[in-house]
Amino acid sequence: MTLLEAKSLVYAYPGGVPALRGLDLRIQAGRRLAILGPNGSGKTTLLLHLNGTLRPSTGRIVLEGEDCGYSRSQLVAWRRRIGLVFQDAEDQLFAASVAEDVSFGPLNLGMQDDEVRQRVDETLVALGIQDLADRPTHMLSFGQKKRVALAGAVAMRPQILMLDEPTAGLDQKGSWQLLEVLTRLESLGTTLVFTTHDVDLAYSFAHDVALFKDGKVLVQGVVDTVLADAGLLARVELRSPFLMELGLKARALGLLADASPLPRNRDEVLNLFGPRAL
Amino acid sequence: MSAIDRTAHLNPWRHRSLTEKAVLALGMLLLAMIFPPFPTGALIAGIMASVTLLGARVPVRTWIACVLAPAGFLFLGALTLLVQFDGDRLSWAAGGGAAAAALIVRSLAGLFCLLFLALTTPASDLLAGLRRFGLPSEIAEVALLIYRMLFLFGDTAKTMDAAQAARLGHRGVRRRLHALGMLLASLLPRVMDRARRMEMGLAARAWDGEMRVLGRRPVLSMPALILILSLEAGTALLGVLAS
Ligand SMILES: Nc1ncnc2c1ncn2[C@@H]1O[C@H](COP(=O)(O)OP(=O)(O)O)[C@@H](O)[C@H]1O
Ligand SMILES: [Mg+2]
Repeated sequence: MTLLEAKSLVYAYPGGVPALRGLDLRIQAGRRLAILGPNGSGKTTLLLHLNGTLRPSTGRIVLEGEDCGYSRSQLVAWRRRIGLVFQDAEDQLFAASVAEDVSFGPLNLGMQDDEVRQRVDETLVALGIQDLADRPTHMLSFGQKKRVALAGAVAMRPQILMLDEPTAGLDQKGSWQLLEVLTRLESLGTTLVFTTHDVDLAYSFAHDVALFKDGKVLVQGVVDTVLADAGLLARVELRSPFLMELGLKARALGLLADASPLPRNRDEVLNLFGPRAL
Repeated sequence: MSAIDRTAHLNPWRHRSLTEKAVLALGMLLLAMIFPPFPTGALIAGIMASVTLLGARVPVRTWIACVLAPAGFLFLGALTLLVQFDGDRLSWAAGGGAAAAALIVRSLAGLFCLLFLALTTPASDLLAGLRRFGLPSEIAEVALLIYRMLFLFGDTAKTMDAAQAARLGHRGVRRRLHALGMLLASLLPRVMDRARRMEMGLAARAWDGEMRVLGRRPVLSMPALILILSLEAGTALLGVLAS
């Protein structure tokens, strides 16, 4: 089922070059979508359209079959359903303490104080930052700020959660924990959309991928099909995912049956070469 | 500013009720102004220093660092009370020693009162308190954003300054001034950009124009308040008896 759809969006920043040039995109319920493209290809600009921050000069955004409006109340209603986590966490944190900051969204949803308090606690625990609850937002590390910004959006339990370059700048453990949290969130019924320039991340984490180039979606489809097309990838100046290449090689060598799915993560690849020695 | 706020955030008394802390600090400040410095002012200075260091456990080094700068000005100012200038000769002023001591003690007492409040209560808590006290919410929200921005700009300015220094932009006074000018000039557009992005960030969380957050409001402890008030009554009584 299509939740959110962008139809032939065109947008140019004031006085600038065109950033979106007739872009189409569909977000399907329950399918993790990676928006994959090089820097400057318009990924962030697209996300800002999908939550109504920017308004296209032509084209429209359709939310569950209905055109989105841009009046103040319509925008608020829109943003209750579609959450956005900015690439730079500083853009989101404003309150004095972590718990206060996370309470902001749920209060905007009109929830009661007691419910909000409980929602904040749950969210902080889910993201493993409960001991930061009283910490001032300006006394956090980069990774902690990212998690608090994520908590602020997650606490609103949006239908769709969009993340702009979620793992950029995080260390290995931080990225891995983030993906785990996102997977758990998904099981509560949130559809995930994220932008990235990292093919390997898109391959191992997404179900679907939209290839981005110069303000347009070249193609949107299932990860295995889209990322297997080396010619297509070359057009967006990307190489095919390393794990996928390994998997195809393993197939060619007879280590992997033609019918079995390609390996998606480290362990699956390593298993191709026999059981792991302990 | 940032060091004081940092200390306040980590202080064990941060979560004591603001009423208790304000009644103690502002009450004592009032008494220090009303009553003569000896013995009341000296007593108040002693009480507030002990409460800050022993009660609220503010680190001694931080506290001393906060006292030193204002105390320096204070002593310099008091020096001028020691001497007098008659005609063309400088001489010791009659009673100058007593006047200088009185000024110093009274001012230190006042300083210790305010430092107690500043080192146990972050600016954001004070703002929340003022809001409850009747400060219009618009003003409180703007003040809160300014408070947040101060840290952002402080950090940005510090990073830019370090980047300039790394490219040897600070060698010599002229170059240093030039570099400072450039820093300030490029800080303004950054401020505007930050503000715009912050607005988008708030809007993305369904902000409808009113900034509500769920604060943790500590409960007022009656025994503590009664203790504070009796301490102040006792000090006042001493002041009345002595004068
Ligand atoms: N605030 C802005 N003002 C003017 N141009 C911008 C602004 N933000 C982005 N752009 C331009 O729009 C294009 C797309 O940028 P962006 O959406 O940020 O790309 P991505 O997120 O894929 O890196 C780029 O050419 C960029 O220079
Ligand atoms: Mg971007």
